[in-house]
Amino acid sequence: MLWQLLTLGGHPDYILAPLDIAKHFIAALGTRELYADAAASLLRALPGFVIGTLAGVGLGLAAGIARGFDDTVSPLVFLTYPVPKIVMLPLFMLWFGIGDVSKIMIIALACFYPAYINAYYGAKATPRILVWSARNMGASKAEIFRRVVLPGALPQIYAGMRVALALSFIVMFATEMINARSGLGHLIREAENSLRFDLMYVSLVTIAILGYAGDRLLRYSRHRLLPWETSHA
Amino acid sequence: MRPLIVVLIVLAAWELVSRSGLWSPILFPSLAKIGGALWAFVSRPEGFTQSWTTLYRAFGGFAAAALAGVLLGMLMGRSAFVAATLDPLFSGTYAVPKLALFPIFIFIFGLGSLSKIALIFLECLYPMTIITYHGSRSVNRVLLWSASNMGASHWRTLMRVVLPATLPYIFAALRVALPVALIVAIITEMISSVDGLGYLVTYSLSSLRTDRMLALVVVISLLGLALDRALVVLRNRLVYWEKLDTYYV
Repeated sequence: MLWQLLTLGGHPDYILAPLDIAKHFIAALGTRELYADAAASLLRALPGFVIGTLAGVGLGLAAGIARGFDDTVSPLVFLTYPVPKIVMLPLFMLWFGIGDVSKIMIIALACFYPAYINAYYGAKATPRILVWSARNMGASKAEIFRRVVLPGALPQIYAGMRVALALSFIVMFATEMINARSGLGHLIREAENSLRFDLMYVSLVTIAILGYAGDRLLRYSRHRLLPWETSHA
Repeated sequence: MRPLIVVLIVLAAWELVSRSGLWSPILFPSLAKIGGALWAFVSRPEGFTQSWTTLYRAFGGFAAAALAGVLLGMLMGRSAFVAATLDPLFSGTYAVPKLALFPIFIFIFGLGSLSKIALIFLECLYPMTIITYHGSRSVNRVLLWSASNMGASHWRTLMRVVLPATLPYIFAALRVALPVALIVAIITEMISSVDGLGYLVTYSLSSLRTDRMLALVVVISLLGLALDRALVVLRNRLVYWEKLDTYYV
């Protein structure tokens, strides 16, 4: 609202009023290109997110319950955690080509860390008493994992997934802005180069909606899976 | 001990691959070549000025975001009105990649450092605010009650009770935000810049000097590690009473 009022009083070319953005966005919804770019972006972000979180949650849970594995892998993960993963992009581009594979790999790498760290701490935080009493009542190792450790770690795993999802969108956008021939990041670069400010905002709004929708979806599934947890992470 | 062995195995495998001749040395330059390029980078003053450019951008945005984020988070934690206003704003736009704003920031703040610092500020502001907010919310109520019971003023309660109790969270937030600052600095330099480490990476790649590029990757990784370590040391000095692992947030 404030923004709209401010822009009524005159504004430079590169700042559009919200109403104008909405108008352009609705106009762009009628074209095919926007869908093609959005689909191309999602086809990079989602596989990367799925691969990265699956690997991260799997290894993180394994490290959380097996001491030997923990001692070998966890120091490496924590050591490389503060390293900006995006610097690997040029390297991945050499190895896997400039196409989608290198982008998906880098997104997976970025998603791996929050997924691993959260699953690891989630599994580690399982109360000992619960494990003991389950064992006492004759539960097998697999059963203890499935019925005690996993439900206990799930809220933490979801917190990690939420961070990973946001990261996957950021990295997707970054890689597309650095080099790509399709996708929303490419669209915004092209719009910038040709001074098409309307297109820039359209791409911005699209990515915002996609990010928001993904986050909502994750929250909804968390709500269904974890009805006993009402707090938000 | 064991992680060290894993690192050694990875390095040995790398050397083996680069010597096997199966792939071009451009894809896998030998360790000696990477080491040579690394030495060439750190032994020249240019290496320091370029690293400083990147660090200056990262720190500028990070410091501003740390200040603003702690302030906002504390306000949100202490005032229900501020929380009700700002919380939907932050959690609603949390998953939106702020990087998408970069082209617009370039038009507003220019091509130089300012647009990059502004973007780093925005990206770091989220973890800083949200984690500080959760921290200041989780202050033990009994402590607050006893403070006000003993006649502590609002300001005094904030400085002597709320701030120390939130400090572990603030450090956790700093530890999340610091790598983000470095990442965004590098990304923005890769997208549009004529200096800084991110620019050098893309430059070495496009001139096919992969040994130089990998040396830069090593430099950036070491910078990230060193900054994280420094923060942990600082945290252990300041928040000595709590030995909680700060990744757990």
